[in-house]
Amino acid sequence: MKTVLCSKTGSVFSIVLNRPEVINAFNVQMRDELYMSLGSACDDPTVKVIAISGAGERGFCAGADLGEFGSAPSIATAREVRWERDLWGMFLSVKKPVIVALHGYVIGSGLEIACLGDIRIASRDAVFSMPEAALGLLPAAGGSQTLARVVGQSRAVEILQMGIKIDADKAKNIGLVHEVIPRKNLHDRLLSVSNSLASINPSLLAAVKRSVNEGMDLSLEGGIRLEKRLAASSIQAL
Amino acid sequence: MVVSYSKNIATVKLNRGSHHNRINENMAFELQDAFGHLGQNPSVRVVILSGVGEYFCKGTDFPPISSQLSNVSYESTLEMLRVSDVVASIRQPVIAVINGDAIDQGMELTLACDIRIASTSAMFGLTQMSKGYIPWDGGSQRLPRLIGQGRAMEMILNSRIIGVDEALHMGLITSEVPPEKLENIGLLMASTIASHGPTATQYLKEAVLKGSDLTLRQGLRLEADLSFLLQTTSDRSEGIKSFLERRKPEYKGE
Repeated sequence: MKTVLCSKTGSVFSIVLNRPEVINAFNVQMRDELYMSLGSACDDPTVKVIAISGAGERGFCAGADLGEFGSAPSIATAREVRWERDLWGMFLSVKKPVIVALHGYVIGSGLEIACLGDIRIASRDAVFSMPEAALGLLPAAGGSQTLARVVGQSRAVEILQMGIKIDADKAKNIGLVHEVIPRKNLHDRLLSVSNSLASINPSLLAAVKRSVNEGMDLSLEGGIRLEKRLAASSIQAL
Repeated sequence: MVVSYSKNIATVKLNRGSHHNRINENMAFELQDAFGHLGQNPSVRVVILSGVGEYFCKGTDFPPISSQLSNVSYESTLEMLRVSDVVASIRQPVIAVINGDAIDQGMELTLACDIRIASTSAMFGLTQMSKGYIPWDGGSQRLPRLIGQGRAMEMILNSRIIGVDEALHMGLITSEVPPEKLENIGLLMASTIASHGPTATQYLKEAVLKGSDLTLRQGLRLEADLSFLLQTTSDRSEGIKSFLERRKPEYKGE
């Protein structure tokens, strides 16, 4: 693998987006490699936490590699491929916590990947934006759905429609990231958050993640029923 | 109500200044009619909704209840006065440029817009409870979705009026602006959006609004389908071409 680097330290599986020469722009190869990496992180029973970051100084991910746009033979084929390797759907089905460390440019699909994670840590120099509409595009990695669920509809619409840039402080303020720290501490912080989660019983982590995420898609009554069921089975397992 | 156009931006202003821009049957009819038409007008890319004078809109001027035969027929009066759904349902993004107080139905009207910015002098509130009834133009549904259930419940139950700082803090509005700059900043925001691909902009609105009523997985389906549909438009290739050629895009809405 080239565009994505994987490593395992203890029970933490690290995935590093690795096209630093183009600020980790997301291309077809990266999609395929991320799909495989994420798949193996899910399948490996010794992995408890998944940590995602971007290589290089300039940023986490500058968005989709526009050079490859329209390279699919037809729209029908593009659609077929989209659902054949449903990377974004796979993110939704990951039971383990996904922690994302963000620095520098976090643009377009970079921000969408971040929104598919569970905990977002940013360095002070991080800049966020969704420029798709300005380019006549739609976000296609779930951004029009996940962003509103993370920061609320009001702010999501502003970010999506205006294409505005958001700095790390504002991102923290609106709940887009959980923590803002100096760049030099980002890597260590990613590991320490990951390790502290890895010390928790993984079935509890999975139950809580499922209860919150699936619960968001249910009626309140249905969500409470789900919670009760998950809690009962975790108590039973004690 | 007055409607004006500047290039591809339409501005709708509530214009009953002497009645604090309160909505009566006449204004409701004009709003429904105007937004119905704007939604169908392909040369309009963004709509601004604002008020003439000191206030945005301080609520409703109800026709006297005595003129009604029964409670049942008052329901149809309310139906006639409802304006939020038609504002929310048009294809183009709507920016609420809130020049002053937005109270009761006036606030409900801003909730139907996609982006809200407000003058530092504006106050917000859904105070229907203090008058013995409940919000009836979408407020009890849209406010919790925008600012969260706990905050919405507290505001509505207490009929509490808030200022811009608090509105900004809770995410009800996305920026507060000094009154003298408000109109210009609203136009600037509108022209930024109007410079984007019009089909992409409309699909984005659809993806976000319809998506919030779907499960996340269904929402991702909707987003992907709209995204593939967008690939059939010439605007989409123009957007990418202009970016790669480092020039400004020229969108045609086709």
